[in-house]
Amino acid sequence: MRKSKEDPELDDFGRFSEPALLILVSLAEGPKHGYSMTEDIETISGTRLGPGTLYGAIARLESRGLIEPLKSEDRRNPYQLTGLGERALRARLESISAVVRAGQRRLASA
Amino acid sequence: MRWLIHLYPGAWRKRYGEEFAAVLASQRASPGLVLDVIGGAVDARLHPQIYKSSSNQNENEGETMTNQMMKRCAAGGPRLSPTDQKIARTTMLASTLALTMLYLVLTKIYRSAPPVQALGYAIFPATWFVYEQTAYLHKRRRFTQVVIGFAGVAGMYLVMLAACEIAVRL
Repeated sequence: MRKSKEDPELDDFGRFSEPALLILVSLAEGPKHGYSMTEDIETISGTRLGPGTLYGAIARLESRGLIEPLKSEDRRNPYQLTGLGERALRARLESISAVVRAGQRRLASA
Repeated sequence: MRWLIHLYPGAWRKRYGEEFAAVLASQRASPGLVLDVIGGAVDARLHPQIYKSSSNQNENEGETMTNQMMKRCAAGGPRLSPTDQKIARTTMLASTLALTMLYLVLTKIYRSAPPVQALGYAIFPATWFVYEQTAYLHKRRRFTQVVIGFAGVAGMYLVMLAACEIAVRL
């Protein structure tokens, strides 16, 4: 599948690629703390991310500008998607959808 | 379990320590959890990211001079939230329309006098200054925004006015 050069990619996240995608999906609903993200991700995917994995992915997403912390009175900042993060999420979901559609077509014709 | 946080680098702990501890406390202790935290600590040491909310010294660690300069120039930060982008775009559009209307009215009254021509030439760069102010300086103090915005617009207009005056005399 051809990828646009302007699409922000999650490919270089290595083992954090899938957790990063789950975080972006969770934040697509609105800003969340780390704890809320863990709960939400478990609800939507059945996977409970450990704090080491969660914050490894959050640090990567934040350093690449895909998510950003919101100001908070305590030091536990909620995070929200940036414009770049939203585009990255859309691009990745579109890519996954294309693979799913191709797989379903082939299974149907098999 | 909280002691495991000390496996992480200092800059990382300053940035994420509190929230990490909250998530860690919410999970039941298990060998898998310990391995996850240790794996995260090894990763944080091997692949340090940019921890924006830490002290300036820690923030600049591992960054090139160019990156540091770009961050300084961007002031409020080059990564704008969708809301910031919308505000900046709307402000730019509104200021462009306002300046264009003013230009048309002045042209009707004073025709092609150099100050009016200068305004016409200054509209685009002036609105760029307005955009820059609303987008990149939104986290700066209001005073700083006004001074930079006003100085930019006034400076641009004066340059265009000088150019128009010279052109008239040639």
